Amino acid sequence: MTEHLEPASFSPSETSPVAEPHATAPSAVAEELLRVIQAVEGVTAVYPAQPLWQSIAGAAIAAVTGESLPLVAVSGDADPLAVKVRIGVGTVLPAPKVARKVAEAVRNHLLPRPAAVEVYVVKVQPVS
Amino acid sequence: MNTPGDALECGHSLAELSTYLDTGEIADPAHLRSCPECQAGLASLRRLSELGSELLSSDLADAGSGHDDWMQSILDNLRLELRPGRNIPLRTENPHDTLWETEGAITALIRSVADALPGTAAGKCRLHGDLAGGESNTADENSTSGAGIIVDVEIAVVYGHPMEERAAELRRELAKTLAFQTELTIEAINITVTDVLELPATPTPTTPTAAATLPPPEPIPSEREDLP
Repeated sequence: MTEHLEPASFSPSETSPVAEPHATAPSAVAEELLRVIQAVEGVTAVYPAQPLWQSIAGAAIAAVTGESLPLVAVSGDADPLAVKVRIGVGTVLPAPKVARKVAEAVRNHLLPRPAAVEVYVVKVQPVS
Repeated sequence: MNTPGDALECGHSLAELSTYLDTGEIADPAHLRSCPECQAGLASLRRLSELGSELLSSDLADAGSGHDDWMQSILDNLRLELRPGRNIPLRTENPHDTLWETEGAITALIRSVADALPGTAAGKCRLHGDLAGGESNTADENSTSGAGIIVDVEIAVVYGHPMEERAAELRRELAKTLAFQTELTIEAINITVTDVLELPATPTPTTPTAAATLPPPEPIPSEREDLP
């Protein structure tokens, strides 16, 4: 199971030089990746990679703090970096193509660090 | 994940979603923005309500409670289909990646195509067959997900709309949409008209005779046709 990486478990020593985009905190990487994914043509929504009801800890934290977990899950201390995202897409472009574009965009953003990208298309609907 | 009763996987029920559409009230409105299953449910309930209003002059709450057999049948199927279901692998361009479409996303898409046809409401939508296709999804294998998937769709048609035309049109639209939006190998698309929805009688001073002038409803056909 892919887990959200909490800032406390982030190890800077395992990252690339500071200039690399993924050298920042994982939550920041997740935020960067969210913007990257949202910019992919055909993506209409990004849903929580790990639904709250599947994560007791996440639900408890959210209930107490009122904060939402990052929409993009980034985990793994070793290479490749594991990224999981659930997206909604429109109907103008083929959903499989959009999914591949998302994976490619994530991979390109994280270069030179290798990444294993998991993309779920959970909604295919015309944009109203 | 097993969920009790008629609850969706996220814990919400169609009754709650219907109440939300009717009143705008739900315990955790923020959840609706992050749950594709609830969003699909709301879209279906809206469409169902529109159709119900046209036919029965009923309000949203009536639609959600499913007082009529045909609507109850549709709601029963919605409860099943608004779940993520199986994962359908997509081809990837990198061996480290795994890409999926959920079965729930595809059945919701099928439902929206059917609902978009005038005078038509989708009932049961099912994908039969091995959606995983062995779960080998690298692009260079040039394989497609699933082998010989059969799509079964039940629809209700408003009285006066040509059923065979609707079924044929829906089959064409679904074939086109599924070829565009999935990598499934579709073997057949079966459309069954399970209900003919009669327009409500208009109350007039001559109601007893006016009703008699309407032609009797056609018998309900059960059409099962494969793709050409």
